[in-house]
Amino acid sequence: MKGFGKAIKRTPFAVTSRIGMAKKSSDPEFDDYQRHFAAMETGAEKLLKETKVFTDAVNSLFTSGAGYAAHYAVIMQPISGEYDLIGKNPEAEHTIRNVTKYEAAMEEMRALVSPELELIESRIVGPTKELQSVMKLIRKSITKRDHKLTDYDRFNNSLTKLRDKKEKSLSDEKNLFKLEQDFEMATNEYDYINNALKADLPRFMTLSTQFIDPLFNSFFYMQLNIYYLILEKMNSFADDAKYDLTNVTGAQIAQDYEERRTDAWSVIENLNIIKRIISVSRLVQANRSQNSIGRSGSTATGSSVGSGSRAPPPSNPPFKKAPPPPPSAASHAPPPPYTPSSSGNGAAVAAATKRAPPPPPLKPKPKIVPQVQYVIALYDFVAQADGDLSFNTGDKIEIVERTASAEDWWTGRLNGEQGVFPGNYVQDA
Amino acid sequence: MSWSGFKKSVNRAGTTLLQKTGQIERTVDREFVEEEAKYKTFEKECQALQKDSKGYWDAMRAMTAAQTRIAETLEVFYGAADRTSEGAMAGHAYKRSVDDLDAGFGRELDGPYRTTISEPLGKMCAYFPVVNEHVSKRNKKLLDYDSARSKLRKLIDKPSEDPTKLPRAQQEHDEAKEVFDMLNDQLIAELPQLLDLRVPYFDPSFEAMIRMQSKFAEEGYEKLSGVQRYFADNVRDDYAAGQLDAQVEEVLQEMRQLSICGGN
Repeated sequence: MKGFGKAIKRTPFAVTSRIGMAKKSSDPEFDDYQRHFAAMETGAEKLLKETKVFTDAVNSLFTSGAGYAAHYAVIMQPISGEYDLIGKNPEAEHTIRNVTKYEAAMEEMRALVSPELELIESRIVGPTKELQSVMKLIRKSITKRDHKLTDYDRFNNSLTKLRDKKEKSLSDEKNLFKLEQDFEMATNEYDYINNALKADLPRFMTLSTQFIDPLFNSFFYMQLNIYYLILEKMNSFADDAKYDLTNVTGAQIAQDYEERRTDAWSVIENLNIIKRIISVSRLVQANRSQNSIGRSGSTATGSSVGSGSRAPPPSNPPFKKAPPPPPSAASHAPPPPYTPSSSGNGAAVAAATKRAPPPPPLKPKPKIVPQVQYVIALYDFVAQADGDLSFNTGDKIEIVERTASAEDWWTGRLNGEQGVFPGNYVQDA
Repeated sequence: MSWSGFKKSVNRAGTTLLQKTGQIERTVDREFVEEEAKYKTFEKECQALQKDSKGYWDAMRAMTAAQTRIAETLEVFYGAADRTSEGAMAGHAYKRSVDDLDAGFGRELDGPYRTTISEPLGKMCAYFPVVNEHVSKRNKKLLDYDSARSKLRKLIDKPSEDPTKLPRAQQEHDEAKEVFDMLNDQLIAELPQLLDLRVPYFDPSFEAMIRMQSKFAEEGYEKLSGVQRYFADNVRDDYAAGQLDAQVEEVLQEMRQLSICGGN
């Protein structure tokens, strides 16, 4: 209640001084300290906040790292019922063999970092909070000083006004005496607290520096330890798994990555199931027409469905006649043979009585050439069945699909028509 | 939804209901079910991986960024008293090295991380909605096929008066079967391909990831350890012995003794 009464008494002065009717005294020395102190208050606040951001980031770094490793390991290992990933992907063997170790290393790292984080919490955040509570006490003293200053100014003003009054009444004289007493008390109180602050604030500043020195040093070593922890674990993992972790530029890492990148990207891009369905009926149309062009039996499991040229090679070789020999066969490579090549698969051979199948389907995933490739016709070729592509010597044929061997039927496009033709009738453009 | 789309969904809802009550036989394609299950696992893992890879990158950025701001705050403290003290020098050196780390590492690894980790994952994850669309289309067409087949069977069991009914039902059945087979076969053929390709697709990311992780740690460690030159010789040992914590406590105690803290 005492505080409330004081506040009421001070209010009129706060108003008059703000509108310039009353004089307000200031102490530049104190103001300077005050500014510093205010900066330190926000500094401590910020330090706490940023320390929290930092520990959160570290926490998330290790959690995400462990999570990344775990999910990556799942992806790189057989998913329910798959077998022999290494056999199918020999180039990824090293990775596949090491993902579990990697997962373990990252998990271990995550466990190791938590004591460091606890250390930050107890040795950095704790003391900083203590410092804040000290600052709050000081802030209280400063507020008190401000109030005392208001009192001082208030009495000072009233006193000056009264003294300046030419004709003083009796009550004025009485008041004057009382005011003089009040003013003296206010002066004493203000001086006491103002001097105390002016003496102690610099002392506090010095102490803060002494405070921040060891705190900063500790924090520094904690941060350093975190980096060291990652570095050391990564190195021991790399030693174990035979990875070269020489520090190279980021660009170099990206470049090495590009070099190791396989054609899996383009093969995936050519899958039909990653293409939006525009219209099922159109797909059916395309499927029908493709089945008739490709002459792959429509009764087959129909893996060769899709929109025309982008279809992956059929998994079962369509049975085809062998192309005719080139007109001047003498000096040139013979056309695809009538007998199946030695590696031909048995079932196909048995089924194809007269017509030799083309060599087995493309075992190494077909390298889908990104840009359009052309070949030049060496001889005339006249279609002998539906789906054959006729051309004349010198025609430039766009390659839709080619196999590794020229002794095979290739698919090409010419004058808007698509069809198959013997690969040995043409040469690369 | 278009009118025909609405009609279709109403019809399919009816078929589902009849299947549940056992009136219409449901086709189960085991091969597809297996492939779909594997694909679903893959999808889930990829999405989790994408989330963690983003979290990892964001955390690295946040870590160094927080360090630069911590350094700024330290300067406030040192600025309050003696700017030329040893501690202030060390604080300044610290600021320089974390600024350097934050800027340099972000600039250098931003592109490579995107190329080797984020982009492949993002691309793969972008495929999933389309694949799922194929799967749901396939499931809808399966319902159509089941319903057409059941209609046809009923007509065969109980021939209708109208002689055109049977051929029409037959044709509807054939068309539904063709559409379903096409979508189903495509999924059965390509889902395993997609799954097989994940290994060569993601394989190169592995080495890139560990190299970048180690690079991040190495640069952070190297840049930071340079700051130690500005420390007094005994600081490292004091830290190890817990002396620094004691010093902090002492100073706090002394602060509390100040008269302006109500100490006396």
